Amino acid sequence: MNKLTVLYDPTCSMCCRARRWLENQPQYVPLEFVGAGTARARTSYPELDPEETLQSVTVISDEGGVYRGAKAWLICLWALRKYRGWSLTLGSDALLPSARAFVEWVSRHRK
Amino acid sequence: MNAMVVTYFIYIGISLGLTVWVARTLFKNGRVFLVDVFAGNEQLADSVNQLLVVGFYLINLGYVSLALKVQERVVQTSESIEVLSWKIGMVLLVLGGMHFFNLWLFAKIRSRSFLRRAPPPIKPDTHISTPTA
Repeated sequence: MNKLTVLYDPTCSMCCRARRWLENQPQYVPLEFVGAGTARARTSYPELDPEETLQSVTVISDEGGVYRGAKAWLICLWALRKYRGWSLTLGSDALLPSARAFVEWVSRHRK
Repeated sequence: MNAMVVTYFIYIGISLGLTVWVARTLFKNGRVFLVDVFAGNEQLADSVNQLLVVGFYLINLGYVSLALKVQERVVQTSESIEVLSWKIGMVLLVLGGMHFFNLWLFAKIRSRSFLRRAPPPIKPDTHISTPTA
């Protein structure tokens, strides 16, 4: 895996803050950010539903893998040098349901 | 040769012997860790191993040299043994500290290398056939 593209909601302030934070972290795998629902996103990923990508953060790998919601967050953490260990812990069978519940809760309450 | 000089020679002999023994143990057993860390690149592993052992020798021999001076006068054999026991004990503690520091370093390098090579913990939800960006 050589690149990850993050589709995020550019109208959501929390998502923009998260983007800035991710951009400033040292990375194992480069992250590229594209506004969900924008013309560029629609052209690059015609197979993805723009409404769905606006509702939950979506990450696409250069190999074509699509990660949504909690999995999208985990794959972003996995791409970061300082947080890969966290992604392995949170992505384990025991913790993944809690991570998913947390991300869904945050997603419902974001503005 | 008075008791003081004999004490110095015994101290230097034992300290050098201990330092060489620990350094060789570290060199011999650390290699396995380093070969694993550097994904089988034995040349790089040997080079890093050699550099670590040089650092180990420098720090330990530096300490042995600085700690050589005996403050009190040594006349009797019992006094010589007491001084030696204190000095060799300190050398052993420094060697032990350095040895554990090296183990910690190996473990840290190894865990970093493991993380660098770790595959993603999760599988994608779906696949799209041809990402164009």
